[in-house]
Amino acid sequence: MIFEQLAGNLIQGLVLGAIYGMATMGLSLIFGVLKVVNVGHGAFIMVGAFVTLWLFNALGIIPIFAIPVALIIGLALGFLFYYTVMRKLIKAPELATLLATFAIGVLLEETIKLIFGSEFRGYNWAVGKINLGITVLPFTKLYACLGSVAIAVLLYLWFNKTRAGTAMRSVVEDSEGARVCGVNVDGVYALSFAIGIGLTVTSGVLLTMFIPVGINPYMGGSYTLKAFVIAVLGGLASPYGAFFGGLVFGLIENGSYTLFALLPNVEPFALTRFLSFAMLLLILLIRPTGLLRAK
Amino acid sequence: MKVNPAKYYPLIPVYAIYLIMFLIGKNMTGMWELMAMLAFYCALGQAFNIFLGMTGYVDFGYVAFMGVGTYGMALAITRLVHFKGLGIGLLIIGLCLAMVMSTLLALAVGAVALRLRGAYFAIATIGVNEGFRYLIEGAKIWNGSEGIIFFAQMNEAFGREMASALSTFWADVLVLIIAALAAFVTLHYMRSKIGYALTALREDEDAAKVMGINVTKFKIIAFITSAIFAGLLGAAAWAIKTPYVFPPEVFEIHYTIEAIIIVLLGGAGTLLGPVVGGLIYGLSKYYLAIILPGFQLLIFAPIIIIIIVLFPEGTVGMLKNRVRGTTLERYIV
Repeated sequence: MIFEQLAGNLIQGLVLGAIYGMATMGLSLIFGVLKVVNVGHGAFIMVGAFVTLWLFNALGIIPIFAIPVALIIGLALGFLFYYTVMRKLIKAPELATLLATFAIGVLLEETIKLIFGSEFRGYNWAVGKINLGITVLPFTKLYACLGSVAIAVLLYLWFNKTRAGTAMRSVVEDSEGARVCGVNVDGVYALSFAIGIGLTVTSGVLLTMFIPVGINPYMGGSYTLKAFVIAVLGGLASPYGAFFGGLVFGLIENGSYTLFALLPNVEPFALTRFLSFAMLLLILLIRPTGLLRAK
Repeated sequence: MKVNPAKYYPLIPVYAIYLIMFLIGKNMTGMWELMAMLAFYCALGQAFNIFLGMTGYVDFGYVAFMGVGTYGMALAITRLVHFKGLGIGLLIIGLCLAMVMSTLLALAVGAVALRLRGAYFAIATIGVNEGFRYLIEGAKIWNGSEGIIFFAQMNEAFGREMASALSTFWADVLVLIIAALAAFVTLHYMRSKIGYALTALREDEDAAKVMGINVTKFKIIAFITSAIFAGLLGAAAWAIKTPYVFPPEVFEIHYTIEAIIIVLLGGAGTLLGPVVGGLIYGLSKYYLAIILPGFQLLIFAPIIIIIIVLFPEGTVGMLKNRVRGTTLERYIV
């Protein structure tokens, strides 16, 4: 009984984990290239969620077609914030970039609140579900999971097969060296920031396909914190590390919830969150390069 | 030991501002609440500046120290209320407990997080703050997510009238005293070996290490000092003023962000900076809420971005450069 429940929750965790992983790749990409932690990360996920919600509820466009729209909006926001704000802060101390990205997040939240209001919203895209015996998976969740994997693979190919991707990897390794070799480092910074934000806004679409309710201007905060844990699991600076970190995180989150629920006199949900932050500290202490020891 | 009074001149403008705030609040009707809020922001900035301003390390989980300070006072009052005759001594015990608890947390956090630098340090401290909050809620420590409510115990320990005076007047006075003490300690550190060591470490930690400076020791001194003031501030401005503690409130990351904004507005690493930053932040927050209710954050966010990009040294940082070489130089530090 308990094992069946655990196995069912782990399957859900794996599906959610793939989406979590994809939702963290943008954070890791930006940190890897610009050495900037995007504290406003969750706000960009929220923008993606609202894009999906608006396209579906107002125009009847299904969430799958929201993916390219979200990507374009994300890229545009990324270039906008890079050239207006981040470009001038590349050499600034952490204090400045942390506060600037936080303020960008607040700006997005308040703008969305002004347009859509602050109540919780949701949408209902019913396309049937698949029964696995131990758990039931709606097709929307499955599509979201497949979409995440596809985007991760595309990013991998783009990174390794294109000139721009190679330039980006060279900047991650050594930005001075890349500059000496004739790489347009400022252009790489701009492109990486834009792609990072684009990925993050897109992940907002996929996340609402998994959880189509609770969409609200302030929904991003908890995703920011989760993304930090996942990024650290993956070594902080590696987008692929982040993807696998997401899978691990999804499994641990759902698995530990099932186990904590067996303990008497505790709040299992809060303990799950505690475990994830304890994991964060432990990994930062003993293995700051991440579980996969990515470069 | 010979004391050179000129060393303490920079405290004059800081204390003058605090005195003016107290007098305005005391003598003008309806101003006390605003002055109390400003005092809280000045004290928050001043306490945070001791670590952030002097070391350049961004502690994103700073509010955790205020949280445990609040719990310290709450626990002292709820557990010791039955010992009659302690009187105001109960508050002293509470403040001491708040200091002890924030010191212990700072030692634990410092042992883990201070090994890390830059962004890794910032993320680790967020982890500590959130982790501690969810541990309290999840394992139901100190009543878990139900929190501690101690209005009744306050009334029992101090009498109804005194409890009300404590929450509406003395708590705010205590906040001002804490702010003044934090300013004194900041200046004392700045003008001693600690300050010079921390400046070296802030500019280049590896170089400082090579020069033979025990960077770990000085980082921990600044970290714990800053944490103790946060604990005291939590005990005074939160526990005594509003006698309840709920984990989601006292570990709200929002307060850390406010502290960072205040320090940055005024100028990180300066003595007068957090006071000026606290005044600017508090006044603009207060009046924006009156003029444009609901739109404060929408207006504030772009202003903050502009300040970071265009004026990274903050108001006092710019002022300091302006008065260099004049007699004012001795007062603005």
